[in-house]
Amino acid sequence: MIQEEGSSSICSSPLQKFSMMSFSPSPGSPYPWLREMRSEERGLCLIHLLVACANHVASGNVENANIGLEYISHLASPDGDTMQRIAAYFSEALADRMLRGWPGLHKALNSTRIASVTDEILVQKLFYEYCPFLKLSYVITNQAIMEAMEGEKVIHIIDLNCFQPVQWISLLQEMRARPEGPPHLRISGIHEQREVLDIVARKLNEEAEKLDVPFQFNPLVCKLENLDVEKLRVKTGEAVAISSVLQLHSILAADDDVLWKNSPLFANSPNAAHLRRVLQMNQQNLGDFVERDGTNVCNTSPDSSSSSPIPPAVSPNMATFLNGLLGLSPKLMMVTEQESNQNGLMFMDRIMESLNFYAALFDCLDSTMPRASIERRRIEKMLFGEEIKNIVASEGVDRKQRHEKLEKWIPRLDLAGFGMVPLSYHVMLRARRLLHSYNYNGYKIKEENGCFIICWQDQALFSVSAWRFRRRSG
Amino acid sequence: MADDEIFTQNPINGSINPPFAKKKRSLPGTPDPEAEVIALSPKTLMATNRFLCEICGKGFQRDQNLQLHRRGHNLPWKLKQRTSKEVRKRVYVCPEKTCVHHHPSRALGDLTGIKKHFCRKHGEKKWKCEKCSKRYAVQSDWKAHSKTCGTREYKCDCGAIFSRRDSFITHRAFCDALAEETARISASSHHMNNHAPANMNFQFIGASSLGPTPCMGQNFPPIFKPIASDNTNINAVHIRRGLSLWNMAQNPGQTQDYTPETLEEMHPLGINHVSLVTINNFSTHDSLITHPCSNTPQVSNFNHLNWDFGSKLSSNNGTQDLANDQSGLPLSTSDIKDVSVPSLFSTQHQIISHQPSSATMSATALLQKAAQMGATTTDPSILGKFGLNSNESIITVQENSFGQVCGASSVSSELVSAEENGLAALKQSQMHPSKRHRMMNDEISVGETRDFLGVGIQSLCQPPSINGWT
Repeated sequence: MIQEEGSSSICSSPLQKFSMMSFSPSPGSPYPWLREMRSEERGLCLIHLLVACANHVASGNVENANIGLEYISHLASPDGDTMQRIAAYFSEALADRMLRGWPGLHKALNSTRIASVTDEILVQKLFYEYCPFLKLSYVITNQAIMEAMEGEKVIHIIDLNCFQPVQWISLLQEMRARPEGPPHLRISGIHEQREVLDIVARKLNEEAEKLDVPFQFNPLVCKLENLDVEKLRVKTGEAVAISSVLQLHSILAADDDVLWKNSPLFANSPNAAHLRRVLQMNQQNLGDFVERDGTNVCNTSPDSSSSSPIPPAVSPNMATFLNGLLGLSPKLMMVTEQESNQNGLMFMDRIMESLNFYAALFDCLDSTMPRASIERRRIEKMLFGEEIKNIVASEGVDRKQRHEKLEKWIPRLDLAGFGMVPLSYHVMLRARRLLHSYNYNGYKIKEENGCFIICWQDQALFSVSAWRFRRRSG
Repeated sequence: MADDEIFTQNPINGSINPPFAKKKRSLPGTPDPEAEVIALSPKTLMATNRFLCEICGKGFQRDQNLQLHRRGHNLPWKLKQRTSKEVRKRVYVCPEKTCVHHHPSRALGDLTGIKKHFCRKHGEKKWKCEKCSKRYAVQSDWKAHSKTCGTREYKCDCGAIFSRRDSFITHRAFCDALAEETARISASSHHMNNHAPANMNFQFIGASSLGPTPCMGQNFPPIFKPIASDNTNINAVHIRRGLSLWNMAQNPGQTQDYTPETLEEMHPLGINHVSLVTINNFSTHDSLITHPCSNTPQVSNFNHLNWDFGSKLSSNNGTQDLANDQSGLPLSTSDIKDVSVPSLFSTQHQIISHQPSSATMSATALLQKAAQMGATTTDPSILGKFGLNSNESIITVQENSFGQVCGASSVSSELVSAEENGLAALKQSQMHPSKRHRMMNDEISVGETRDFLGVGIQSLCQPPSINGWT
């Protein structure tokens, strides 16, 4: 009870204990009773603290947020159990967000970071190695390609993020084993680093030569949002397949900027001023707001004459990008995305969604890798941790991790002119077989309206869908 | 019929079916005594493509081939016919005087054969294998070797490498290094007795997680007999390996200590080799995705328990790789090779090794529980106790969330508002206790008597008999 300060309540709960301790902890081990806490208690405590802290960050209440982070730091640990790890990375992300309130401080702290491409690629490979998601995506993509390209003699595959050759080595082998013989295969790989593409090129060329498959690899060094479709040099008569594994959502980030500029926010009307104030308080961005509350904004404007209905949020960059891909008349486009709505919602909802999403991912790692594993730590810190930081702390163009559920991708791709191709029974068979062969327990693949959802213990994590060119977008 | 005669000299395609029975291949260097002995000069033997087409410059080794080629250019062609009617077998001697085949009694029966022999034994080795240091004088030998070089290797602990399974097994039977090792672990043979059946089990454990068991079962080599106390037998070592793999499956978290390259550093039991992913060596042509089951040679490889410890996927090497790579790009090929084309089995081992304790709840379960706790109104959770100044905080929460337009689940929003309370109350609680006491009383008197959870003041006054978390 609160009134009884200093009471020796043995079975009092942890938060109570926090309240009873003086703010400045004594030197040495400040909270010895922390060790007594069972992991479940501690986990629940962490969740509550995290949410509370996030609330304070959202409302700009730095003092309280600081206190929250302090408490979390005593309970969380990147080497502890799953919840402790998650809390560690989330609290780091929250701290990063808070720090952006002091731009000078934030820039100074982040200016000397060494960006190592090697590390980034390595951690991607670790993720591929220890979790089945990428493997499943590759298997499903390859099988869908094999089915769609039956009978084709010249195939051109475009890989939107070509950082390792495994997927295509496997495809080369499957192509070789085709009853009608291997086709002439071209693969265009896109990546920001030339060195990575060089290595992939070499590996693939070696494999193709070994298998005696006519093969050509075209590297394309550029950022995905700056992709110039002309450079792909797709020839007429080629059957085009596009593989996008966790790439499309980053294109959404570029649209944030555009929407801001075209928004009514910068108009000179009382409506705009009101909007600006509201948004600043909420720390939202316009894109989210418009998508959600387009109609509300119209209604609340006092000046009815100037209230032209805001069109539904069209993301111009994404539309351009998809249009470019559509222009290649692809026979097949395979899209793998995270199945989670972490974009376009309010900050608190982003926090909750991403908590649930990454909790499942951390649990996945926990079930397959021991606690002491350094690879696990790497994946958690350099892959998940960075994504969490991006989702929680960044805004605007910087926030690349804009995950969205299939329910949002489907209308978007549909509008752009793509038609969905339901994934076949054989694809599901192969995917399930992969799971069994690796003895991955706890993972499930569900089929929903022709798309596959890869779940961990009923929590949907990734979606894989197949598309084709249907009509010119309009 | 004339054409047929020409072709019978060089039965290339075997398209002519001789009416007589097919001749068996005789031992090399034992020619037919009746045969005509031909001694060609070295120049003739090494010569290639002496006959050139004047149109396109293509070279041919025989005049007849050139004539046939000339037909394609619509040039006049003339095929020479065989002069004599009877077929006389020809044998060839090697021009090199010191060679065994120089003598007619040891002549070789095939022109191509003598050419290759001459190049191999007395020629310069111009073709070199990329991967290893072997050199070849004959191009076809080089090609054949490079196809198999490095694809399948059996390495003994003593360092000898074999590309053939049978030679490997034979070597192991007599290898000295192994004898040493078996002598050393004979002391713990009683352990092995107990676990020998485990070795068999291991094979099947491995099999079941790899795919259909029949694949593995069939290829279970006879060499893996369960051993009682036969110390000198290499089987003991095999079992120990199998044992270690099996042990590793049971002992998670020991991956850190792996370093050994030699036998000496291995303990009899509890060997920490995660990288007894010896399997790694098969990874060069195992695609990660295709199944090994349909491809028996690969499965049998697994049974051989390749002793290569150079796995880059072990945890230790993980750090090493990073250390090596910090010098920057380009990425070394070995890294990519080992990481990008991982073997099927390495991950499998990882998966088997870790068994999360059932005592810890998963994070997703915790989140669900927390959401539940926030939503229930009758659960006197810790938050209820902090819900004194609930009204104030609720209002602020609502202002901030701007009408709750978004599709947040009611559960999470409750959780959110619950937390808002919690921390605000925490802040309060840091104030002087008497002040807090006063504040609390004020608020109770002012506003409603229920906090947002629907818990009334009465319950707040109850002693905290419940932990609040369970």
